[in-house]
This record gives sequence, structure tokens and C-alpha cells, in this order.
Amino acid sequence: MKLRKVLALTLAAAMTLSLAACGGSDEGAAEAPAADDTAAETEAPAADDAADDGAAAEAPAAASGLTYASVNLGEDYKDLTTTIKFIHHKTDREEDGTIPDLIAKFNEMYPGITVETEGITDYAEDSLLRLSAGDWGDVMFIPAIDAAELPTYFVPYGTVDEMSEYVNFADQWKDAAGNCYGIGYMGNAQGVLYNKKVFADAGVTSLPKTPDEFIAALQAIKDNTDAIPLYTNYAAGWTMGGAWDGYLGAITNGDETWLNQKFTHEAEPFKDHGDGTGPYALYKILYDATAQGLIEDDYTTTDWEGCKPMINNGEIGAMVLGSWAVAQMKAAGDNPDDIGYMPFPITVNGQQYATAGPDYCYGINVNASDDNKAAAMVFVKWMVEESGWCDLEGGYPISKTAPTSFVFDGVNVVNNVTSLPGEEDIMNELNSESELSFNQGGDAKVQRIVEAAATGAETYDEIMADWTAAWNAAQEECGVEVLY
Amino acid sequence: MAAQANTAESKKGFLQWARSRKGQQVIIIVAFMIIPLVLLFTFTYLPFGEMVGFSFYKMKYVGKRTFVGWKNYASVFSRKDCFGALKLSLYYMGGSVVQLALALYLATILSFKVKGGNIFKGFMFFPYLINGIAIGFIFKFFYTRGFVFDTVLQWCGFQLDNLPYWLKDQSINNISLVGTSVWRYFGQNMVLFIGAIMSVDSELYEAAMLDGANRFQQFRYIILPSIKTIVTLNVILSITGSLSAFEPPYVITSGANGTGTYFVVMNEIAHTQQKVGLASAMAVVLLLIIFAATILQKLFFKYVFRNAEDEDFGAAKKREKQLAKYAARKAGR
Repeated sequence: MKLRKVLALTLAAAMTLSLAACGGSDEGAAEAPAADDTAAETEAPAADDAADDGAAAEAPAAASGLTYASVNLGEDYKDLTTTIKFIHHKTDREEDGTIPDLIAKFNEMYPGITVETEGITDYAEDSLLRLSAGDWGDVMFIPAIDAAELPTYFVPYGTVDEMSEYVNFADQWKDAAGNCYGIGYMGNAQGVLYNKKVFADAGVTSLPKTPDEFIAALQAIKDNTDAIPLYTNYAAGWTMGGAWDGYLGAITNGDETWLNQKFTHEAEPFKDHGDGTGPYALYKILYDATAQGLIEDDYTTTDWEGCKPMINNGEIGAMVLGSWAVAQMKAAGDNPDDIGYMPFPITVNGQQYATAGPDYCYGINVNASDDNKAAAMVFVKWMVEESGWCDLEGGYPISKTAPTSFVFDGVNVVNNVTSLPGEEDIMNELNSESELSFNQGGDAKVQRIVEAAATGAETYDEIMADWTAAWNAAQEECGVEVLY
Repeated sequence: MAAQANTAESKKGFLQWARSRKGQQVIIIVAFMIIPLVLLFTFTYLPFGEMVGFSFYKMKYVGKRTFVGWKNYASVFSRKDCFGALKLSLYYMGGSVVQLALALYLATILSFKVKGGNIFKGFMFFPYLINGIAIGFIFKFFYTRGFVFDTVLQWCGFQLDNLPYWLKDQSINNISLVGTSVWRYFGQNMVLFIGAIMSVDSELYEAAMLDGANRFQQFRYIILPSIKTIVTLNVILSITGSLSAFEPPYVITSGANGTGTYFVVMNEIAHTQQKVGLASAMAVVLLLIIFAATILQKLFFKYVFRNAEDEDFGAAKKREKQLAKYAARKAGR
């Protein structure tokens, strides 16, 4: 009885204490912003100081000539001994041992530099928090921040012009002064995923360059092999709108400004140009392939996970997906070498186009110690040029010197330029109003093409006329000027 | 001075009242009700009111709103896809009729003495316990060409070439989807019916048996009238559920290929196209339709069961006819 009483009392005391503690910390937390408010004036110079510190810390680095170009891998900083930390989003590569293996290889060249890694599951969100908290380490993949903030957080690798000699997409993260702050770990390009063996077995010797050639190649696959010529992944949904919309723009008409600047102002964006270019030709490939029975038999029960081993084993000829999918398809079976990636089969004035851009980019912490900055610079350069990680992922090459298996011969790799200042929201407005939602989850409109072609419910021209009507009505509703 | 005394008195009066039995009752009732009522208001009526407000705006989840009056409602009625989607509800209503008939049939059989009755009850109730999303995935594979369903049918002697594509063929894919929902819910309906049937006094069966009533007559004249409340309830719930069918089409076909029910269309408009105002208007319209359907059903059942308490109308007529015949024959002789 007595014991119970004592126990109860202790418990009660512990609870009261912990309550008080909670209250205390709450008060503290509540106080802090208040203090900030009153001490805003004193705070401001402090922040300036910090920025100055950053600049000061950067200056010697720059003075010592630490840029991407200045580092000679395997010669400089060989005797550097330090520990750097690298945070990234590739948790799958952390778990399957790819990243530890790469670091082990790195340590063969640089035994003194210990690299700690941390894979973060919800990277897009968490990395921003870590960045603002400041204690994230030395190398990270740059999250979505404003370009103006780059100098506050990251070390420049050099000017964009200088960096462009070494890597692709050096202008992805640049400040107003033209410095490059981020280097991609791999690039993504837009083309068509295909199985080389199936194409060879079907007797397709040269890659198709136009919609007609592509359809003919698919027909050859149907005639000569047992494989499904074109797998649509209809049921998954995002593989329809998400994949097909990605080719709008320079790939279909060679015009880098079309997607984000002209599309919204065009009266008849979906009209037939008659020469196998433009959005009309793009979606017509899907319609024709479906109408001619060149897709999977029962498209309503396709399975995304199931398609990976199928293309790996040669049961699928081609899939229209971005190059990010290459690594997954290669990993899904015993024939990784059969997986190929070709430019999208649309030719504009004799020229094929592909759009490409970097995935996440390495950034180096500006507040790290000089030793760590140097080690981080060495690490990033090694990762980009020597590690072969980009190629391992099947990505579009980042380094201009590293060997790559990504062949896009004779293709003009371009980037769709961003929208004009002040017009950033027009695309969103029109997408919503017209309910076509290009590049914004408009899967239903692409699924409709497959349904219409399979059932014969609508002709392709009827669908395009419908889209045009919806687009024009949206332009009118949103007050968008029609210029083209 | 006088006023002060007055307030003091009323204060005293209030305290007295609060201490009285009646006052205590009221205070306790209010104290107990306030929490559920506040919760109900905050999480049901307030958001609903907001949604009704949204339906008069052209808006996205973020960004500015413009007041457009009744325009959203006008487009709900003028758009083809909104009311076209309601036609699909007919499939689900048809399915719910099958479902209820099946449930009632099985419940009646199982409420008599059946060997292994509890095991059957358990097996048939089981689908209701599975998560709706999981059921969606099960049936996605179930209906895939050459998978489970086709295999089973091939065992029964069907040729694969003669079988339709269960989800691709637009003339039957809605029926396939309705099938999943019938499979899922009939067990639950059955258990509800069994519960109601068990409350029927078993002496009535005995009396009926003595009068020579067979099983069907027992069902028709004893069971059905006794459980009419639960039947009505289940029918109303099924019809309402049919109007707002969502899970099977959303998970199995993602509303593509002509299977987009009203809810799926609404979800697409609200979340993909970001027309929150229009989707809110659709929700309000659906609510009104459900109200109307419920009231109509109430009236219908009031008519159907109007004299279930008395003896059957037709039976009385029949008996009178027979009596008349009997009398005529007697008179003729």
C-alpha cells in the first residue's frame, strides 16, 4: 500500500516536472521570435556579419584558386586529411551499396578524405529545412531555392563559361554574376526507350527518324517478332500524360521558345502541319499505333512494375518515357545491354531534337572550413568525371570528358526556354481552364486518344479539333492574347 | 441601487436554479452535448458551408478567387461529362438491386437451421473487412486478360478467344466494376438482414407451419414485413452509395475508358484541373440529387408497405372471391 502511494507520488511528481519542462521550453520558443522582433535592428547587422563572414571565408578560397578547373584529380590535395558529409536523395543507391562502392573507389585515390553519406527519403522538403538550419554537411544536392540565394549557401565552381568546357548544363544554377554553383549528377533527356534486340530481330536496322518510319518499325516488330511493339502503360495514367506531354516543344517543332512562350498565344496549336511535326504529329503516333493494333492487347490492365522485366526480356519493343527510366529497365532483368535509348522520331527540317536537363546538382557548403571545401571540390570533381555514376544510372552525360554509353548522335540537344517575365502563370491558367493540363497530370486527354483509336469512337482530327476549341475558349476566358 | 439588488437577486436565482434538479439536468445535458456538437459543427457543417461558398467562385486551391455567381452551377448542368457520369450510377443501382436480393436470399436461408451456417456467414462477410483500395488491386489482376477470372472460366470450358476483355470492352467494363462492389458489400447487407430476422419471434414460424405455410410463404408473410425497416434502410443506403460510387473505378481503372463516375469526374476536376469552384458546385448538386432520391424512396416505401401491418391486400380479395364462388356454387346446387 505504502509502496503504491510512493509510486503514485513519484509518478505525479515526474509528470508535473515534465509538464513544467514542456511549458518552459515552449515559453522559450515563444520568446525567441519576440526577442527577434524587438531586437530586429541588432539582428540585422548580425546577419550582415554572417554574410560578410561567408564572403570572407570564400575570399581566401578564391584567392587560393579553388575552382572546379583548378583541381587536378589524383595530383592535388593528395595529403589532405578531413571528413566531409554528403547528403543526397538516392536512398535506393545507398541501400544497394552503389554509393558506398563509389566512395570506396574514391578513397583509393584519396585515402585521407573520409566521406560520410546520408540518404534522405523526403529530400525535396527535408533538404530545404536542413539548408536553412545550416548544419547539413559539405556537399548536397541543391534543392529548389531562388537563384539569388545561391551565394549565401554555396561555393561557386567557376564562371558558367569556364565550366561549360567541362560539363553540360553548367547554367542550371547560376547567379547574376554568371557563376556556376551546381553540377548535375546525371542528366535527363527526352527520347524513346527501346529494346535493341527486338528492333534487330524485326529487321529494323536504322533507328526511325520520323513518325512514319517509327510506325513502320513498330509494324515490322509486330510482323516479325512476338514482342509488343509499343507498350503504352495506359492504366498507370501518369505514363500517358506525364510521358507524352514531355515531348511538346523543341522536340516536335525545333523551336525552343514554343512551349513556354508561343503555345499559350497560338490560335491553332494542334493543327496538322502536314510534314510530321508539331503536337499534331506527336499524339498522332499514339493514335496510329493504337488504331493499327501495335500496342498491348489489353491496355486497361497494364502494370507499371510488370513492364520493366518485360522490356528487359524482349517482350516489348518500345516505350515512350524519359531517359530517367533507363536505369530501372536495365536493372529489371538479365539483359541490361539490350535496353537502348533513341531520339524521338520527329525530324524538323532534317534535324532531330532532344531536350535535356540536369537532375539534382551537387552544391558545396560555403560555410565549411577551407579544408572541407577543398575536399568537397575534389569529391565532386571525382564524382562527375571519374565515378561513372551518371552512366551507371543511364543518364545523359554531365561530364564532357567521361566515357558514356548514351548515344544521341546527330541530335540537337536543346532546352525549352522559360516563359517571358510576367507570363509565368498563363500556362497554368490555360491548362486549368481548358482541362487539357499539359505537363500537369493531364493523363485523361492522352488516355482518350488510346480509347478513341481502339474503339473507333472518334477520329484523330475530331480530338484535335476538340482540343483546339477548348484551348481557344480558355484563351478567351483568361484574356490571353492570340498572337500566332 | 435598485438595479444592483435586482442583479444580485437574479444571480441568486440563477445559482438556485443551477443547484435545483432541473438546473442540474440542463447543465449536464449541455455539458455533454457541447463537445460532440462543437466537433460536428467544426468538422462537418463549417467545411460544408465553406464548400457551398466556394461553389460561387472561380478559384484554385491557391491564388486569387473571383466571384462568378451561378456560373459554376450552369456549367454543371451544361457539361456533358457531369450528368453523363450520373448515367453510370444506373449500373451501380442495378448492382445494388442484385446485391440486396442476394443478401436477403442468403440471409433467409442462413437464418433457418443450416449446417455450417456460421462458417458461410464468416466467408461471405469477409470481403467487407478488406480495405477498398486492396480490393481494387485484387480485381485489377482478377480481370487482367488471361489471369484469374479468365483462367477460372477456361476451367469451366470457355475459350479465351470468346471471352470479352473485362475492363477494356466499354460495353461491359462498368458491369465488371459493379461486380466488385456487389462482392464487397453483399456480405455486410446479409449480416444486417440476419440480425433483423433473428429478432422475429420464432413462435410465429411454428404457428405458420401449423397452418401449412411453406418456407416461401413464411418469408413473404412473416419475415419480410418484420424486417421492412432494415430493408428500407439498406435500399436507401445502396442507392445513395450508387450515386456516389468512387473506389472501384478510381482504383481499378482510374476512371478511364468510360468508367468515370460522378465522384471520379469531380475528383479529376478538383485535383487535376484545379477547378475547385466547379467541383464544389458538383458536390452541392449531387447532395441535392441524393436528397431528392432519398425522399422519393421514402414515399415509395410508404406506399409499398402501407398495409403490411394488416393482412395482405391481394389475399383478402382472393379470399372474398373464393368465398363468393363458394357461395354461388352452394346457391347453384
